[in-house]
Amino acid sequence: MSTPTLTKETETRPGPAATAGDAAKEWNPALRPGSGKTPAARLRLYARQGGNAVWGAGAIILFLLLWELGPTYLAPASTRVFLPPLHVVLEALGTLIANGQLQNHLAASLSRSASGFGIAVVSAVALGLLVAWYGALDRFLNPLLEVFRNTAALALLPVFTLLLGIGETSKISIVAYAAFFPVLLNTIAGVRTVDPLLIRAARSLGLSNFQLFQKVILPSAVPTIFTGIRMAGTSSILVLIAAEMVGAKAGLGYLIVNSQMSFLIPDMYAGILTVSLLGLLVNYLLVGVERHFSRWRTAVGSRTA
Amino acid sequence: MTSGTGPIPKISLQNITKRFTVRPSKDNPDGAVLTALDGISLDVSAGEFITLVGPSGSGKTTLLDLLAGLTKPDSGKVLVDGREVAGPGRDRAVVFQQYALFPWRTAAANVSFGLEGAGSDGKRYTRKERAEKAREYLGLVGLGGFEDRYPHELSGGMKQRVAIARSLAYEPDILLMDEPFAALDAQTREQLQTELLRIWATTGKTIIFITHGIDEAVYLGQRVAVLSSRPGRLKEIVDIDLGDRSGDEDVRSNPAFVEHRHKVWSLLHDEVRRAQAAGHAKIQPDGTAPDETRTITTGKAA
Ligand SMILES: Nc1ncnc2c1ncn2[C@@H]1O[C@H](COP(=O)(O)OP(=O)(O)OP(=O)(O)O)[C@@H](O)[C@H]1O
Ligand SMILES: [Mg+2]
Repeated sequence: MSTPTLTKETETRPGPAATAGDAAKEWNPALRPGSGKTPAARLRLYARQGGNAVWGAGAIILFLLLWELGPTYLAPASTRVFLPPLHVVLEALGTLIANGQLQNHLAASLSRSASGFGIAVVSAVALGLLVAWYGALDRFLNPLLEVFRNTAALALLPVFTLLLGIGETSKISIVAYAAFFPVLLNTIAGVRTVDPLLIRAARSLGLSNFQLFQKVILPSAVPTIFTGIRMAGTSSILVLIAAEMVGAKAGLGYLIVNSQMSFLIPDMYAGILTVSLLGLLVNYLLVGVERHFSRWRTAVGSRTA
Repeated sequence: MTSGTGPIPKISLQNITKRFTVRPSKDNPDGAVLTALDGISLDVSAGEFITLVGPSGSGKTTLLDLLAGLTKPDSGKVLVDGREVAGPGRDRAVVFQQYALFPWRTAAANVSFGLEGAGSDGKRYTRKERAEKAREYLGLVGLGGFEDRYPHELSGGMKQRVAIARSLAYEPDILLMDEPFAALDAQTREQLQTELLRIWATTGKTIIFITHGIDEAVYLGQRVAVLSSRPGRLKEIVDIDLGDRSGDEDVRSNPAFVEHRHKVWSLLHDEVRRAQAAGHAKIQPDGTAPDETRTITTGKAA
């Protein structure tokens, strides 16, 4: 509340530098959230936050309840076999963890997606920077990139399998392919949207081309690049699961399909549950990284509570 | 008030002409050549504070870019210390209207930006020396204690102070300022004007200051150069003599101020009318700028 007035005061004070400096020091602590609140107000804040948390989780809780009770009480017996209640799935998940199977499948999936994703990020950022920096290269490559970008990665799965077999190479490749384009396009966009005024300012400070790139263009493009990386993370898992469903001997996609074919329905759901938890986790991590690198952008990233 | 007589002037513009080729449009499919500056000659002596006014589109920013070495003239010469300007250099610093701070750097890191890497004399600053300089210059512009703030955490006036500190930090001889206070509210602007005069007095920089405020031009400048509407030609240079400005009295109501202000106003009057007829409405003869309030009052000159 008191922050804006203090800003004004510091700013419009004509006096010597020392005065403004002192005002600034007084000002700093006021910025910390939660300080200067009475205990009652703080309690109310926590209560509100708690309420918000319950409300925010409400839909999930309802869904889980429906999953638990629905098959038993609402569904006909024939469906119940294909849609076991939640606790049965959790039991299956427990067994899979206990005998180490789940960890094996998870490890297989993770190592594939991590390698594919890593290859994609490194090569797409590098190519994106080149393309954005050299206009001629962009005009040359852009039409081709558009074609590839609009070809769904999964449509190419048979091609990858034919050319690279059903081993690790084809899976890592298709993950890399799917993750490549979001990163590439965002890298190009990030470099393109650098504020021309900043480039002028940097030039007027006498920066060389290389320094300009390193100190202005790259830092200013980083948040956009990380948005691309986050999108790539999501799509790399998606594509990998699909690829593992088609031809693999391990991995979460294999677990799901294999359980289905062996009629181990609870195991199948345990696999699906793992996939969605993994997706959530990956997205959460990448959002955190993205936010870390764009915290200078607006006040949104630094918003507390 | 010594215009460039005697020793070589700090800055010398000799018959500058700058043209732009306009991209082809529907109206003129071949594209056209637009003369932004036409035959500008001007000498500025060391330590002088000169302000530059002119209607919108008269080529003020173009002139500043030439001085900064960001562009080259089509004919004529830009000399600094008697040597032709070959590109940007650390003897000149630019302050832009829109702050142009690097948003991913803190205030201190913005100020020390120009100190990274080797200087023209090959001198390198250590990290510690840079931080020290940043602190020193942020203090000079009244922002001591704000070193770790990001630009989005600063007000407009504070940002412009950081930008001024950044341009001062690598100790240029010449400050080139392009409407630096135009986006600020009246109080902040007046305060920064006073501080700029103080900094000028203590550091002895040569300052070229573009503005579209007549009051600002007369208040700050030792001379006011008036550009004509496009193509920009130097219409006249008005010498400003306000006596001792360090006193507490309100200089702006001083009769000499009013007289100078009227003189610049009259010079601009025709030019503004002409510019407005050509579709610009940036500067009003009374010195207000409608684009700040977004109320366009065309044709209401005089
Ligand atoms: N890169 C460019 N290409 C083509 N035309 C340009 C370019 N830069 C400036 N111009 C033209 O040159 C003229 C002078 O522009 P300039 O920006 O110097 O005006 P100004 O006096 O700074 O105006 P303002 O007060 O509105 O900032 C304008 O008509 C503008 O359209
Ligand atoms: Mg301009």
